[in-house]
Amino acid sequence: MSTTATQPTRAMEPKEFKSDLKPIWCPGCGDFGVLQALYRALASVGRPPHEIAFVSGIGCSSRIPGYTTAYGFNSVHGRALPIAQGIKIANPDLLVVVAGGDGDGFSIGGGHLPHAVRRNVDLTYLVMDNQIYGLTKGQLSPTSPRGLHTITSGYGSMEDPVNPLLYVLAYGAGFVAQGTPAEMPGLTAVIEEALRFPGFAFVNVQSPCVTFGEEEQQLRAHKTHMKSLAALGHDPADRLRAMALASDYGRELYTGVFYRNPEPGPTYDALVRRRQADLSPGAVPRERVLDRFRQDGGR
Amino acid sequence: MRGDLVFGMAGSGGDGIVSAGESLIAAAAAEGYHAVMTKSFGSQIRGGESSCRVRVSTKEVLNPGGALDVAVALNWDDFLKFGAELPVSGATVVLYDAKTGVPPDKLPLVGVTPKEALAVPFADLAREHAGTERAKSSVILGLIAAYFEVAREALLQGMRRKLAKKGEAVVESAERAFAAGEGWAAAHPLREPMPLAQPAAPVPAKLLTDGNEICAAAAIFAGCRFFGGYPITPSTEIMQFLSREIWKYGGAVLQAEDEIAGIGAAVGASFAGTKAMTATSGPGMSLKSEIMGLATIAELPLVVVNVQRGGPSTGMPTKPEQADLFQAAFSAHGDAVRPVLAPTSVADTFWTTVQAFNIAERYQTPVVLLSDQEIAQRKETIEPIDTSTLAVEERRRPGESEVQDYVRFRTTASGVSPLSEPGMPGGNYLASGIEHNERGAPTASGAVHARMNEKRIGKLEPLKRRRDLFRVFGSDGAPLGLVSWGSSAGVCREALTIAQGMGLRAKLLVPYLVYPVAEEMYREFFASVRAGLVVEQSHQGQLYRVLRMFLDLPKGVRSFAKSGANPFLPAEVAEHLHTAALALQREAEDAREPQE
Repeated sequence: MSTTATQPTRAMEPKEFKSDLKPIWCPGCGDFGVLQALYRALASVGRPPHEIAFVSGIGCSSRIPGYTTAYGFNSVHGRALPIAQGIKIANPDLLVVVAGGDGDGFSIGGGHLPHAVRRNVDLTYLVMDNQIYGLTKGQLSPTSPRGLHTITSGYGSMEDPVNPLLYVLAYGAGFVAQGTPAEMPGLTAVIEEALRFPGFAFVNVQSPCVTFGEEEQQLRAHKTHMKSLAALGHDPADRLRAMALASDYGRELYTGVFYRNPEPGPTYDALVRRRQADLSPGAVPRERVLDRFRQDGGR
Repeated sequence: MRGDLVFGMAGSGGDGIVSAGESLIAAAAAEGYHAVMTKSFGSQIRGGESSCRVRVSTKEVLNPGGALDVAVALNWDDFLKFGAELPVSGATVVLYDAKTGVPPDKLPLVGVTPKEALAVPFADLAREHAGTERAKSSVILGLIAAYFEVAREALLQGMRRKLAKKGEAVVESAERAFAAGEGWAAAHPLREPMPLAQPAAPVPAKLLTDGNEICAAAAIFAGCRFFGGYPITPSTEIMQFLSREIWKYGGAVLQAEDEIAGIGAAVGASFAGTKAMTATSGPGMSLKSEIMGLATIAELPLVVVNVQRGGPSTGMPTKPEQADLFQAAFSAHGDAVRPVLAPTSVADTFWTTVQAFNIAERYQTPVVLLSDQEIAQRKETIEPIDTSTLAVEERRRPGESEVQDYVRFRTTASGVSPLSEPGMPGGNYLASGIEHNERGAPTASGAVHARMNEKRIGKLEPLKRRRDLFRVFGSDGAPLGLVSWGSSAGVCREALTIAQGMGLRAKLLVPYLVYPVAEEMYREFFASVRAGLVVEQSHQGQLYRVLRMFLDLPKGVRSFAKSGANPFLPAEVAEHLHTAALALQREAEDAREPQE
């Protein structure tokens, strides 16, 4: 496993993280704001692009790794989290960022989320939640509100949406936050904090779909009804209060940090390193592995 | 003196049948015999019927053998449930529990009278001498040691070692049960003694292992430092072995939440520059196929082990079958070709697994290793492996000058482009499941897609010319040909010897590379062949059909295939080959008849 520098060596500029690829997103898409906020947050954290692995699944937002200069992995639908965990376990020195949409993360990939959280691999998971499937042109998503009319729910959705904030809190995540591109400094701040958090960190971004999204989900609407958790006096160390606030997902748009574990436990990748150090006192010659099968008790 | 004995035993769970078999094979290994053990169970988690076969020989053993020389039945209901796996013939000595109340001339065996049948009071002897019926397995071992002169000292030593932690009293009562078995045998000698010859001396200490554990060990040897997987019978022992051992070599195992996450994490680790593997069986392969396609298009090395079992769906999880070849070769969507390798024995699983890693790393591709339950879970003595000549390959990483202006999927003569990894300055690129150009940028261009397909498929061509991935046995110009792969190949090697003994001019081709089809290798083999068989354990005869997709086989070459869990017997294969030879002769005679 390669070793890389873990500390920033110099101040970095957001533009150093911007690649030559032109985003395919519709003009006005919320994801442009997320990308800008991410450039700024990465520059503040200061890790050079080659020390960053940026993993995504499939969807409009999952194109995002290609728009950065980091090592990117635009994989298959719903599987970004397992791939990212493999990367981080193989090389814990990397800064590993995962991004995707609500369908990718909470529907097709929903089975991986609780396990990524409880395993506590040191990842930052950024979801661009727009309550719709945009890339396939406007079908119901797992966060679509009940009653929503789409091309696959012409008579209105008959399901309640999932509550990603509450799920992730309940699974035991150490860092849970929400932001919107309607308020860029706040969005940049929560992404930066997530990147720095030692453990699984989740940021839900309300990132509107300008083409298929509802009027009340657009940035203009966000600006009028978003509420800063800090301004409400919420204490991010209070997990139960965080869960109560998260229960309002879909009714209220809170921004900022819901929960930050004041005493984060060891990360999975750190435990892996420790076990390797404990069990491999030195370089064991590879052929020694066959000693296990000797009947004269060779070990 | 016999050079080879096949023991088959069956009883209820708790009778210690499998434990007796394990003691027998460990003792045989310690004394320098060659030995193979297979186990078979009902699908119950605990209890129910269980059986094992142990073949002990002074020569190399290629398969678990055919009809039993010695059958041990603790009760007939359980024994008969394993009918095809424990075949009794007219040459078999049957030892069965007297408690069953069946007279020796009224055994419930259909259509066969064994050479000799003895009603042994296994349970009574155990209770009388050891105070518990649980000591039945020690009585069996004593009986076997006495009747067949197999590894007496090693059996006793092994028994002591195994029971040592249960205390001196348990050891002593087991020894009394063993002695009681010996004593009973001395008082009731076989009509025709069947002692096993001593192994040829001097013998190098053999290794005792099974296909799953040796596969895991080979992975570590080949440099695998990440395993992601999910438990599934009959492959789980691979993960179990690695979860104990891989840390000692600086690696890690992730028991993932499902099959998809297991292979996903392995692909991630490979992207990060670490050799990686996942292992599963048929149902898990179905779930993994999407991510195998991702590894193909992102050109990432990966080894995927499929320990085949009876299918489809849950099928027969504890029984072997070779019916996942179509799946291994063709389950990908899109134009994806991935190498499929198949070991044929416990011993060659080591070499084949190392080759799987070497091919994956050299060609930046997922490689499927198709093992099967028969190889994976059978215990076998193997010769110590000389690893000094076994090369371990590393992926081609970009040099200093190549990362000046890094082009991840650069067109090269070989089709293989240098592969960077996160942490490497200047090597930054986008890996993707979406089609991409040389620089990794997403594209929808048909021209680029065609070029990339050509790159990804063309780079594997040299594999088909690797002679070491094919083995030929028998005489070069023979008109009779056998082709067999995986665990069936061992049966065919023995069948070939039998056929040659019958005066047939025959040869055998064993492909370790089963896909892509190496057309030239087969053409060369079939050049002299007029009739023959493709032998494999599946209903459809999957290799036979795959070969016919790519080749015109000689007219007389037919499929000889059976569904899983119906073992082939070497003599049976030889007989089929004989029939093919006779048909060939008839044809020649017909051709000489004047035409009407």
